[in-house]
Amino acid sequence: MALPCGTRNYDYARDMAVLRTKTHWALFIGLLVIVFTAPLYLRSYWLGVFNLIGITVIAVIGLNILIGYCGQLSIGHAGFMAVGAYTAAVLTNKLGFPFLAGLICSGFSAGLIGLIFGLPSVRVKGFYLAITTIAAQFIIIWVINHWGPVTGGFVGMSVPYASIGSLQIRSEASQFYLIMAITSICILFAKNLARGRVGRAFIAIRDNDLAAEVMGINLLYYKLLAFFIGCFLAGIAGALFAHWAGFLNAENFTLSDSILYIGMVIIGGLGTTIGPVLGAILIRLLQQAIMYISPVLESAFPTLPSGFTTGIGPMVFGLVIILFLILEPRGLAHRWILFKAAYRLWPFSY
Amino acid sequence: MAELLQYTITGIAVGMVYALIALGFALIWKSSSVANLALGQLVLISSWFTYGMLVQAKLPYWLGFPLTILFAIFLGWVIERFTLRPLIAQPILSLITVTLGVAYFLEGVVTFIWPMSVGALPRLFPQEPVHIGPAVVSQEYIWAAVISLILFGLLSLFFKYHKMGIAMRATADDQLAVQACAIPVTSVFSVSWIFACIVAAVGGVLISSIGGITHGLVETGLKSFSVVILGGLDSFVGCMVAGPIIGLCENLGGGYLTPLIGPGIKDIIPFIIIIIVMIIKPYGLFGETRIERI
Repeated sequence: MALPCGTRNYDYARDMAVLRTKTHWALFIGLLVIVFTAPLYLRSYWLGVFNLIGITVIAVIGLNILIGYCGQLSIGHAGFMAVGAYTAAVLTNKLGFPFLAGLICSGFSAGLIGLIFGLPSVRVKGFYLAITTIAAQFIIIWVINHWGPVTGGFVGMSVPYASIGSLQIRSEASQFYLIMAITSICILFAKNLARGRVGRAFIAIRDNDLAAEVMGINLLYYKLLAFFIGCFLAGIAGALFAHWAGFLNAENFTLSDSILYIGMVIIGGLGTTIGPVLGAILIRLLQQAIMYISPVLESAFPTLPSGFTTGIGPMVFGLVIILFLILEPRGLAHRWILFKAAYRLWPFSY
Repeated sequence: MAELLQYTITGIAVGMVYALIALGFALIWKSSSVANLALGQLVLISSWFTYGMLVQAKLPYWLGFPLTILFAIFLGWVIERFTLRPLIAQPILSLITVTLGVAYFLEGVVTFIWPMSVGALPRLFPQEPVHIGPAVVSQEYIWAAVISLILFGLLSLFFKYHKMGIAMRATADDQLAVQACAIPVTSVFSVSWIFACIVAAVGGVLISSIGGITHGLVETGLKSFSVVILGGLDSFVGCMVAGPIIGLCENLGGGYLTPLIGPGIKDIIPFIIIIIVMIIKPYGLFGETRIERI
């Protein structure tokens, strides 16, 4: 039930279109209007939350290309984000690059580092690759912490606001427009990548890499391409994070963050375009809810241990990851598809 | 010279403990081909539990340590029963990520119950340092190495002669055939998780009696992965050989490279070794090279 009844394919272009029906167009334009008028009625705090969500969505899209489409588990995604963030920071702060050039360069630097650590993926997979990427995470963070003259070491470094031409992107609202625009481009890119030759090659590799190789897919090229694209998007997300936060510290890119990104991919749904968006929104909003609720609970129940506020978050996220894997391994995206099929047929059951 | 000898001895001793923790990983991997990435958090939580028993509840040693072991048994059983058993025969990606979820959860539990970042276990071993040749080594290292060796010996005997141990080896070899012989595979998985948690607990107590309980214990657990990778995933002997090698590299490198490169190099040497092994010899020293068929 991928499409409503009566949708026919009269020519190739219409067959391949992302938006097929008038309802699609109406909903899509409605969504765009809601998103891009959000600064008019949302408070600055919530705009900040949505900025973080947008940045996370970009990173998780990259991770989804790696894990969901190509099947290469990477537990160092926060490390690759850190590479992008610090590249952007160093280029704009110390070398005076313009924002857009810094953004592209940080994507490429993260992609290249990803290529280096992705190299073992040609020979190994599964757990071996997971360990390699954990090692990447630790090595990257160690280098950042100990390369003081460039990265500011443990103290961190400040990052100037983004600016395009003479336009300074300073307020939460203007950053919101910037981040949402880039996020939309990334979503469109991921959607089209997955539908094309490259995406099909990735899926073939995920399902069985030996069979894919036998069918003429160049494993070396496509696996490294997946690492490059995934880490490129991580780098873009890191650079946006750097300009959004204004100050960088390696504490922003820990192993726990890497695990959380994997959790978002799983909760959203592996190998779907909508999945990373749903997963990132759910987890980030859950974080907000926990931040809001835990002080209330703590004051209501004074007997709770003092680690309640810091400990409850990881416990909930760990539990959510485990429960999704056991109960709904196809993630929220699958629920979304079921929901669409149900409302199209309503009021009939099938 | 004294310096070199000292680094060597402490390196081998710490490496023994790494090997012990890594053994827990290899156990689970061999019997159920689940990659347990929550190793570091298992080490962390059982060390904190020991702290809770010995320091906070002020229990005597003869009660505190058996309770820790009981806790480890319970933990292993719970993890296997409620997270891994529902996922039997799922793709390897789910099996790896579910242990990441467990890791995240356990870390939350630790910060929930023990919010302080540093804890110190009471002195378990005599204090006075031992003189071996020109080197001065504190006794804790020697004890840690000896206890790890004893535990390793006991486990090997268990695998060789005990019925359950033989069943575990058989499961590692061929799950279908084992089921055909009416050996309950699920309880074999359960037992392997319980053993893994026990060795993680013992390793955690040994390491934290040397260096105190910090969040760095998670990294200690992760360092054991370099032992597994270097030794080969499915080899117990590999663990025992690779452990001291990693410990040696870490201590010698930490001792001699720190003035050259900077502080903290010690902590990432195991991770650099992982990358090198991955590129040169991905299945490790004693690991079985997997030949895949379509």
